[in-house]
Amino acid sequence: MKIIQNNGVPIYQQIASEFQDQIMNGKLQPGTYLPSIRSLAKDLKISVITTKKAYEVLEAEGLVSSVPGKGFYINATDTEMMREQHQRKVEDALSEAIHAANVAGMTKQDLIETLTTLLDLEDEGREQ
Amino acid sequence: MEMKQAVYGLNIQKKYGKFRLDVPDLKIPQGYATALIGENGAGKTTLMNILSGVRMDYYGSVRFFEEAEVQGRGAEKNLKDKNIYTNTEDKLRDRIGYTAPNDYFLSNWTIAQVMEASELLFDNFSRERFEEIVEKLNIPTDSKVKNGKKIADLSDGNRMKLEIACVLARDTDLLLMDEPASPLDPLMRDTLCDIIRDYLEAGQGRRTVFFSTHNISDMENVTDYAIIMEDGTIIEEGFVEDLKEKYIMVRADAEDRNAVKPYMLGAHESNYGIEGLMKRENIDVAESIDAVIQIPTLSEIAVSLMKQYTGLKF
Repeated sequence: MKIIQNNGVPIYQQIASEFQDQIMNGKLQPGTYLPSIRSLAKDLKISVITTKKAYEVLEAEGLVSSVPGKGFYINATDTEMMREQHQRKVEDALSEAIHAANVAGMTKQDLIETLTTLLDLEDEGREQ
Repeated sequence: MEMKQAVYGLNIQKKYGKFRLDVPDLKIPQGYATALIGENGAGKTTLMNILSGVRMDYYGSVRFFEEAEVQGRGAEKNLKDKNIYTNTEDKLRDRIGYTAPNDYFLSNWTIAQVMEASELLFDNFSRERFEEIVEKLNIPTDSKVKNGKKIADLSDGNRMKLEIACVLARDTDLLLMDEPASPLDPLMRDTLCDIIRDYLEAGQGRRTVFFSTHNISDMENVTDYAIIMEDGTIIEEGFVEDLKEKYIMVRADAEDRNAVKPYMLGAHESNYGIEGLMKRENIDVAESIDAVIQIPTLSEIAVSLMKQYTGLKF
């Protein structure tokens, strides 16, 4: 896991996103426990409260549950919920792209064309 | 968030000369590292000495681990009785490790004598563990001198490392460290942070660390809870992640200074602009003038608040 200090994204958010990805792509299996907050803090060289907050974010999203005295384990995956979360990520990324396009003075048509081109490139890449 | 307190101080008061320490309610959460931050003379060492039992001439009480209560003895004249510690306090001693800010051991002692004294003082002191940590921290134990190097020959940094080795050689539930980072070099400060994280991890929520520091940036990534003091009182405290949500750091152009200044804490002004800490609840003010808004570091929070409340006029 890579933690970047002072890049604008709070460290707890970086950790939460990393675990989110690992849960969604199946690297972390339902039923298994996340490392304890204090051992993760030790490994990442960050404070305990930061790892705790990251886990609380995951808990609020329903991805993990906490058992007092035992830690946080990964919930059985709810595909519908996961799809929604992925969708939200896409929306966030696209909103950011729209914002950047506005700054750059791109028109709606420019933006759609750019997206189409990128999708085509992706397809070509897959075919090869 | 329901939280156990490793230390709970009630109405702690101490007066000497013009200075007055007044802490009605002190809470140090169990299982975490808490930093005590404040200007020189804010009362950090006085508070640390009260918690560690170095001084008993204070008013109020301190409850440890939600079970053992220590009462201040009031004014200094009450300390004439030589045996000032009660049985409860003697038992507590084994569960607490304390490191002092400067010359703690007698300067003509050798490291071997420090070890012998620690063995006499604490039932849970492990000689093997001590020797292992002295070795690991690379504390010079020159064997040319009989029984090893004298304390007087050690640098400030090595003396602090020796104090750290002494407390880590015991299985404790609470570390009270007065300015542990100050005499240490940057690499050893980083190691100190690792040591604190290791200590907390091995305790699995049972162990607590309370340290005072001026080196906020160096210690930020090991600080869970922060207590900021100014002139004998606590001016702000909280879990660092909560404080970072409570405040924002705002930087604005010079022409907007009048709009933001009334909301700023510890504002710094120059010909080019103004920057300072603001409560997040006032974020609208900063957004309306298109100021740069950032999540503050613990150091920025502490320095801004200290600046807001200080008597320093510079």
